[in-house]
Amino acid sequence: MEEFPASLVSQIAQDGIFLEARAGCSLRAFLSGECCISPEYIDNRISTIFLDSSPVDDIDSAMIKDGSIIALSAAMPGLVGAAMRRGGAYAAIRSSITHAEKEEYCRQGTVIVRLKLFNMVLKELGPGFFEKGVYVKCHDLARSLAEQTDDFWEKCKELIINGEQIECLRLRRGHYDFNCETALLTITVSGLSHTVP
Amino acid sequence: MDKILRIDMGADGGPKITETPLGDYAGLGGRAMTTTVVSREVPPLCHPLSAENKLVIAPGLLSGTIAAMSGRLSVGCKSPLTGGIKESNSGGQAAQVLARLGYAAIILEGKPKTDDIYKILIDKNGVKIVIDNSLKMLPNYDLVTKIRSEFGDKIACMSIGPAGEMMMNIASIACTDMELRPTRHAGRGGVGAVMGSKRVKAIVLDDSGMPMRTPKDPVKFKAANKVFTEGLLKHPVTGQALPAYGTNVLTNILNEAGGYPTNNFKEGRFAGAAKISGEAQAELEVKRGGLATHGCHRGCVIRCSGIYNDKDGHFLSKQPEYETVWSHGGHCGIDDLDSIAMLDFLDDNYGVDTIEMGVTIGVAMDAGLAKFGDAEAAINLVKEVGKGSPLGRILGSGAGVTGRVYGVERVPVVKNQAMPAYDPRAVKGIGVTYATSTMGADHTAGYCIATNILKVGGFVDPLKPEGQIELSRNLQIATAAIDSTGMCLFIAFAILDQPETFQALLDLLNSFYGLSLTGDSVVELGKKVLSTERDFNTRAGFTAMHDRLPRYFSTEPVAPHNVTFGVKDEDLDKVFAW
Repeated sequence: MEEFPASLVSQIAQDGIFLEARAGCSLRAFLSGECCISPEYIDNRISTIFLDSSPVDDIDSAMIKDGSIIALSAAMPGLVGAAMRRGGAYAAIRSSITHAEKEEYCRQGTVIVRLKLFNMVLKELGPGFFEKGVYVKCHDLARSLAEQTDDFWEKCKELIINGEQIECLRLRRGHYDFNCETALLTITVSGLSHTVP
Repeated sequence: MDKILRIDMGADGGPKITETPLGDYAGLGGRAMTTTVVSREVPPLCHPLSAENKLVIAPGLLSGTIAAMSGRLSVGCKSPLTGGIKESNSGGQAAQVLARLGYAAIILEGKPKTDDIYKILIDKNGVKIVIDNSLKMLPNYDLVTKIRSEFGDKIACMSIGPAGEMMMNIASIACTDMELRPTRHAGRGGVGAVMGSKRVKAIVLDDSGMPMRTPKDPVKFKAANKVFTEGLLKHPVTGQALPAYGTNVLTNILNEAGGYPTNNFKEGRFAGAAKISGEAQAELEVKRGGLATHGCHRGCVIRCSGIYNDKDGHFLSKQPEYETVWSHGGHCGIDDLDSIAMLDFLDDNYGVDTIEMGVTIGVAMDAGLAKFGDAEAAINLVKEVGKGSPLGRILGSGAGVTGRVYGVERVPVVKNQAMPAYDPRAVKGIGVTYATSTMGADHTAGYCIATNILKVGGFVDPLKPEGQIELSRNLQIATAAIDSTGMCLFIAFAILDQPETFQALLDLLNSFYGLSLTGDSVVELGKKVLSTERDFNTRAGFTAMHDRLPRYFSTEPVAPHNVTFGVKDEDLDKVFAW
């Protein structure tokens, strides 16, 4: 493959990729630890974060639990877009849905969380995650592959699924049996390397 | 921009043209101009389609200059949709060209006694008004093609489609873009119906031979414009997110927040959101040879628009905006971008407001006229509007009328104007603005400017719920002021975060007019505009009871957060207490 398959990454990452995380860790610890995102990028670029549908103001107190859904976005337009920003001037506008930490979570072991990437964050972080490998729902992957155009299949020759290099021709013809609920998907592009900022 | 053009369409012997100096209207632009003229000259109790109503068209204070983002056009009148005062604004080329022709406003007055259709040509030689019945009932794209063949490419055109001629409540006024396509609309409130009542089909503007407007202090003006432009380009919203994905970048965000009204505001989340997101849209546009980054007028540096091509690579519509993608998409349960782009094209072609049209279709779906998610049925319903069939006439009257005709209990309107793409139960602050705006439910009425920069109303704790009333008030004041400059509201994002960019905006105004405006002056201007609008609405019969959301927003929780609006009436009544 000579070019990163942006359309596939975009579709899957908007729906959400699955990652392991330490139970009960803070959102900040998850982003900097498991996701290897730099503190500068977290503070300056990821201005909007949702945890289980709620906009988060304090990523140090917001905690991860099993099944958490986390969505990351850059700064957004519009009054409501601005209101969703972390600790922004318009946070009052959405106060009834703002994340409030109430529960005590188990802090032992690992959990699985779903991470959604949107807009500039998707563009900038997406490839890095897929190079390292992410867990995806097999039916999401199959559906996304089915929606790819000729352009994708001409450029993408193989994907790495559960550590095995799979020819895209097999995937396109439906000759690959996923036979599992989730799969580890890795996408590498010769000559291209994406480091998570 | 030192004169006002008045055209009495009802004068004996045919339309009468008068040019007057600015007089009492000196120093006003955009919304401040339209609001002041309507308030002073239109009887508040008049029928909006009567000869007594006036259609006021005003470029902004900086339109026609080299200032970036200065190309918004304000259109004002008494609204046939809301019955109150209306300022609807549009991008496109018209504001820049009109300003360079020297007009601070065009005021269409009176009403012809015949059914003849008029076109108006304004150029450096003056104003010509001619009857042209060959234009009758032409959709906007066909109309502009015909106008182009007659006047060439160096023009800007404002026009109404069949909906405007039929004086439908949801009719818009189209303004051509840089490619001379009728893609930019003064959409809200039925301003196109008022133009239709004056029997004016098209206003052709040609600024050939006219110079760029010159500032009093060219050096300071140029320097301020440089700082202003740099501020826009370096900001992550105006310099990156909007150019890359357009306003539709909000789909994923609102959906994730559970504030994305779905299936006529029944739910806060749409399963098909990722398919119609800004990310998906931009990718598709580029793949098909369209554009994901494109300006709607010359001098735009944000370029949040785009070109949407069909599967064969042919132009289908301009890039549909977030509100359009929502109203025709999630609101109607439709997750197909091609269908949404087709609906956007039809809206532009017939000349209707995309928000009102989409919300009306959703209400019609609730009434059983079509199933949620049925894109083909939605397209056919919009075509009924274009045809002017009895069904189309009902739909073309807007969501409120459609709900009443079909007995729909849940109709998301305030002052009879459809709500935009943010559920007020999840995002209560915007509900406060929907409820209290002089314009009816309007997402742009309270949009911009950090309160800590303008220092409007003192310090507001952003994390306290009670701050919502104060925020809505301050935002509405600031928005009214920005609307008066003729600047695109999207500058708000850079101004919000960067004080030096806000100062550059003031410097632009000051160096152009030789003024010494401060943040306080901007606040006073915004308050004055809002007070004038509130006064007009009061005289038109509006009371506090009109500043309310439909009751079901306070009684029916919306998933996934299961919240209701819940802002008290007495608090809503405090919004304009200054």
